[in-house]
Amino acid sequence: MHTVELPVSGSDIPLAWFLFFAAASFSIGLFGVLVRRNAIAVLMSIEIMLNAANINLIAFWRYVAPPPGEGINNGVMLALFVITIAAAEVAVGIALVLLAYRRWKAADVDRYDTLAG
Amino acid sequence: MPTSLIPTPRDCLEIAPQLILATWGLIALILDIGPLRSATSDKRRGTLGLFCLAGCGIALATMLWRLLNPSGERDPFIFGGTIASDALTFSFDLLIILLMALVVGLSTAWNFTERWGEYFALLLWAGVGMMFLIAADELLTLFLSLETMTICLYLITGFETSRRRSVEGAMKYFVYGSVSSALFLFGLSLIYGLTGSTRLVEVHKVLEGDAVQGLSHNLAGGVAVLLLLVGFGFKVAAVPFHQWAPDAYEGAPAPVTAWVATGSKIASFVALMKVFLFALESWGSGESSPLGPGWLGLLAVISALTMTFGNFAALAQKNFKRMLAYSSISHAGYMLIGVIAVSASTKLESAGAVLFYLIIYGFTTVGTFAVAAWLARDFNSDMIDDLDGLGYRSPILAVCMVLLMLSLIGVPPTAGFFGKLYMFMEALNVDRTGPASITLVGLVALGLFNSVVSAFYYVRVLKAMFLRTGRGTIKPASRAIAVPVVIGTFVVIFFGFYPNTLLESMNVSAVEMLTSSTSGMIQENTHMNPLSQMKYKSGAEVLDEYKKTLAADKERLKSTELTEKARKELEEDIKRLEGIVARGVVATPGGGGSGSPPASAAAAPGQGMGIALPSTYPGMSQTKSATKGAGGAAKGAGGRRGASGKAGRAPKAAPAAKSAPRPGDSTPKTSPPK
Repeated sequence: MHTVELPVSGSDIPLAWFLFFAAASFSIGLFGVLVRRNAIAVLMSIEIMLNAANINLIAFWRYVAPPPGEGINNGVMLALFVITIAAAEVAVGIALVLLAYRRWKAADVDRYDTLAG
Repeated sequence: MPTSLIPTPRDCLEIAPQLILATWGLIALILDIGPLRSATSDKRRGTLGLFCLAGCGIALATMLWRLLNPSGERDPFIFGGTIASDALTFSFDLLIILLMALVVGLSTAWNFTERWGEYFALLLWAGVGMMFLIAADELLTLFLSLETMTICLYLITGFETSRRRSVEGAMKYFVYGSVSSALFLFGLSLIYGLTGSTRLVEVHKVLEGDAVQGLSHNLAGGVAVLLLLVGFGFKVAAVPFHQWAPDAYEGAPAPVTAWVATGSKIASFVALMKVFLFALESWGSGESSPLGPGWLGLLAVISALTMTFGNFAALAQKNFKRMLAYSSISHAGYMLIGVIAVSASTKLESAGAVLFYLIIYGFTTVGTFAVAAWLARDFNSDMIDDLDGLGYRSPILAVCMVLLMLSLIGVPPTAGFFGKLYMFMEALNVDRTGPASITLVGLVALGLFNSVVSAFYYVRVLKAMFLRTGRGTIKPASRAIAVPVVIGTFVVIFFGFYPNTLLESMNVSAVEMLTSSTSGMIQENTHMNPLSQMKYKSGAEVLDEYKKTLAADKERLKSTELTEKARKELEEDIKRLEGIVARGVVATPGGGGSGSPPASAAAAPGQGMGIALPSTYPGMSQTKSATKGAGGAAKGAGGRRGASGKAGRAPKAAPAAKSAPRPGDSTPKTSPPK
């Protein structure tokens, strides 16, 4: 197996910057999920969280050398799959929001409250 | 390893049940929009239900065929090591398919939806996700199968279109579930960053090599563990991540609830145990105390909260399904005690007890939700009051229900009692003097107290069935409803009287989960049940066999009548074996990990161990207690997941292997680490 040199030179943006950015957007997403009441906004917030994780994965792939014997493209592959999953999740989410909208005539997650206890 | 990522036909054969079920779902979908397009809902329900049952039957048949015709030596790691195929996946695939068959059957009880094609397809695909989740040996695969499972479940939760609460349950399940998936993914990305790998075995190795055990001064690791714990906590419905469960359970049609409560929970629990007890094992607890920085203390708190909250909330419920939802939450709490005990003792028996409990829980729960389906069919509601007088109108099923309830409480002749007994006993047997013991004794005491509390709400169901007379409108149960109840009862009674067989095979499965290395395992007689034929050898024995094989290979190389190709293969084999033998001998003591022994390690070797280990074996780190050491040792001797790749084949080449004595079967021979 050929080896690939992972450039971790001084000219690159430091890894920590990516991680801070990812952590920040993840927090924004989490905040959105907790605060926004519109179902579509909640979906968008979930997307932001998934993409924050993707940034992490790509950054780690670029900067962290994998242990010997390990594939070199794990992080990118993971990110690709996550993008697919995110799309599937949004499709399902939109379908459920539509279904709920037909019943309640509202896309407000607080209104869906017939079940409690 | 990366070069072997291209699937071989054998790989596909190993996942044949999953492939069959996935295809079956697709065909069900096509049948629904094709030949059955103009049929009535009743007809489509019946036809597709039977069709899917046939699919489950075929999947079961392929598994039985594999059981009866094992293809000689089986490689437990398929698809380049991302998916396992071993005793654990075999027994739990069997469990998932059986539960799936019951749920499919239960779905045919009444018309709660019109879209039968989609419904059955999603049901089967969720099951496929569960089976892959149990088999996943790599974080990406784990995440993918987790999502396959839950996305399908979100959708079928909302399938009872005539009722508002079904959509609401689905919506809540979706929002909580996908947020937890995002949290889980972020945690996963941190694990990947910290270890450079997504393979559980690599993660385990890298973390084991860290100088500091536990999570002190490891912010990223702490965040990762927290996020993974939240993700799994949502899936198994542990407090405080349980909010979706009662709503989704109540809103979903009863068969779907049964599927979410059993299959999804069981698969997530197995995945949780694989990730935490194996991959993140080193982060379990700090060196000073078991509740020091690490996930063990966190899990203890979650466990205590889960069982207490679940039981007390269930006391207040009037809705039968909602009560069962809270009861299922509290059962997750009991099982977490078992997980903590495994982590503190690292004994196979502890893990086996949890797996045993999971199986019994699965069958019991399907049975009780079948009764909920019965109520929903006839009353279109599922209050506990609807059960009034059931004992007089349908005595046999009511008696079955009594037994199921007794098993959920944990009353002696039932399997639920033995499940709890084994799990709690294992928790109490953990190193009596160690600090983890106090926590576990506390948790077990809380668990017993909670079992008593749980009796109150389970008995309410019995009271409704036998002490009250109800509205006489409930119709006799159809076969679809009666079968899960009767099978659940049968399992509860049968394994109540004969728990040993199942318990032993679960202990075998637990090896896979705890050590994730099966290199010491040899199937002796290929014509018999592989589950009962798996034997374990000590690391030194394995090493001896490698040496013998090496010598034999070298002899063979000297003979002249070898073809060019055979010679080449032989040379490669020798080179690899030499590497293994050299590593086994040259490795320095304590090379696997460093640092002072954690508190729990001191007494561990004295306990009954399934695997005997010579203390001199170099692969065994001093900081690890014997079971873990066995995994490490076996890996050193050429575990399939180690860098040595295919070294696991060597024992087959050695004729001596078959007649070698196996001290590992019986008594522990471990001497305490120095």
